[in-house]
Amino acid sequence: MTEPAATDRGTISGPAADSSAGLAGGPSGAHRVRLRDPVPHGAGLFIAVAGSLVLVIMDGSYLGLTVTTGVAYAVVTVGMVLQLGYSRQLAFSQSVFMGVGAYGTGVLETKYGFSSLESLLAVIALAAVAALLVGAVVTRAPGLALALATLILPLFIYQLATFSSWLGSFSGIDGVAPFWTGSDYTATLVQTGIISVVLLGIAAGIVLRVMRSGIGFQLMAMAEDERLAESIGVSLRQRRLEVFVLGSVLAAVGGAVLASAQGIVTPDVLSETSEITLLLMVFVAGRKSVAGVIIGAIVIEYLATSTSFISTNLGIIEGIALLVILLVEPDGVAGAISRLLGRRTDQWAGSLRSWTAARLGTRGQGA
Amino acid sequence: MSEFLNLLAAGLTSGAIYGIFGACLAVWFRVCNVLNLAVGDFAMFGAIGTAWLVQTAGLPFIVGIIVVLVGVGLTAWLFDWVVLHTAFDRGAGAHGIVSVFFYTFGLSLILEGVARAMFGTNVYGAPSIWSGPALHVLDFHVQRAGVLVIGLAIVSGLILWAYLRFTVSGRAASACGESVLGSRIVGIDSAKFRRRIFIMTAVLAALFGVVESPITGYTYMSGPTLSLIGVVAAGFAAFRKPGRAVAAGLVIGVAEAMLGGYVSTSYNDVLLYAILFAIIIFRPEVLGLGPEPA
Repeated sequence: MTEPAATDRGTISGPAADSSAGLAGGPSGAHRVRLRDPVPHGAGLFIAVAGSLVLVIMDGSYLGLTVTTGVAYAVVTVGMVLQLGYSRQLAFSQSVFMGVGAYGTGVLETKYGFSSLESLLAVIALAAVAALLVGAVVTRAPGLALALATLILPLFIYQLATFSSWLGSFSGIDGVAPFWTGSDYTATLVQTGIISVVLLGIAAGIVLRVMRSGIGFQLMAMAEDERLAESIGVSLRQRRLEVFVLGSVLAAVGGAVLASAQGIVTPDVLSETSEITLLLMVFVAGRKSVAGVIIGAIVIEYLATSTSFISTNLGIIEGIALLVILLVEPDGVAGAISRLLGRRTDQWAGSLRSWTAARLGTRGQGA
Repeated sequence: MSEFLNLLAAGLTSGAIYGIFGACLAVWFRVCNVLNLAVGDFAMFGAIGTAWLVQTAGLPFIVGIIVVLVGVGLTAWLFDWVVLHTAFDRGAGAHGIVSVFFYTFGLSLILEGVARAMFGTNVYGAPSIWSGPALHVLDFHVQRAGVLVIGLAIVSGLILWAYLRFTVSGRAASACGESVLGSRIVGIDSAKFRRRIFIMTAVLAALFGVVESPITGYTYMSGPTLSLIGVVAAGFAAFRKPGRAVAAGLVIGVAEAMLGGYVSTSYNDVLLYAILFAIIIFRPEVLGLGPEPA
């Protein structure tokens, strides 16, 4: 199968856009449409500004630390929207790459004297290379084999971390520097939180940008029917790999944020419990909604660390919430809110149909 | 030779644990294309529930086992009636790849939470069904509970294999997994098979928890790890062949013990999982897995 021309990939500005406009307008017209899409930039900017304001208001309180930790998870779950929600790529390796980010930051800072910025950039590069190598083989695995392979990955990486004295064994690595050191503890917490929400804003902007581009529609087509996607020229293997790499890199960035916020990295970040928490954050909040998973990650992190009745019985509450959501509203709380607000929840499917029809040259028949 | 035999005994015991959970997962997946990620939690409830009823509530051992097995069976029936019936028979809720994992994942979270609320965070072990010193045959030493675990795993695997292969009911159950619509057209009640086998595997897992818990002990958090190991064993049986899942579990257990004995006691699990990972990636045809259900 041939890969679609690069100029065709960005012809649609968003799920609700008229796909025919881009195609009719040709590459240059399509490029203009793509550049005009303000949503990814606007959303990223809004997250960074609003998040920073919230953290400033919290003024280094315990709640502020909880929010920053939640932001770390949110960076990961934003990538999972693309992987699990949008592309339905059944990979359970996010906790592993979160660990790559967290341990990478810890090792580079405490053993090799890297600064926070240097370690963040190095971790992004390391995670990209690792994800490319791992993804090149795991994304070849058919169907459930991919899920199985990525389920095994956390098992032996966790064991490796707990037995490795270089990685601090069970106690992990202590003394990870915050992203931005302030004059005192409170200032450090606020400033590190601000850097974290800026990173979250960038992550959300990138994911929204992909989702609202032609590539996003290709991913959606793959999720609906791989044979259909292949028949309209989508390179399945390349797209699978790209999604895997992007999701994994964002998970590593989330891990770096977590290490920086907490100042310590332990093997818990690699455990199956960590992966379960991430999955809950995505499915309960809404696996197709970037805003939903950001809020979900922060709320669930808050509930998990609070000392109330909820935190004690969190497992029961999460389990019941997950089942209710799967039965009543599979698109999660975000989907339910969209429905309550009267938005069409099938707009993606409608957009996919019109985009596919346009690609097949049968415009108007499939919508 | 003595070391090899003892490693073999230890490997067969842990392999039987992997195998039985793999078999429970495989037989139910074959019927309804859903992975039972709560199977380890049913075992945990069997072990902890029996231990609690006997040691704290003072019930006789056999009564404790019966009460727990009935309770697990009722829980499984209730979950099927409330959740699975709504999702699969009434067509409500999430389907496709989400349903493969996440309905039973939700049940696992609930069971874990309930166990924590009821029994706390202590380690529990049910009394041994066959108590006494370890058995010795030449240089081969094995605990009595280990013999029961291996025996139960092999017998369960054989029975499940024979049921699916040689009985009309077993073939009807398999047909449900191939095509729900097709099986209904020819008069097979797919919901009935899904429910019966879910309850049966839940009770079997709970019984296995009772038998095995004197060896390892259980906490409220033991379930997910057991389920995950079961998924790995079932994966090497294409998620559909319970007899092969038991065999895969035994091979994995023996490999783990041998790696621990002859290569590294610290990194044996790391090496084992790395080998399994490599097999999945480079020889996926060994698993016999095709694309996931739509």
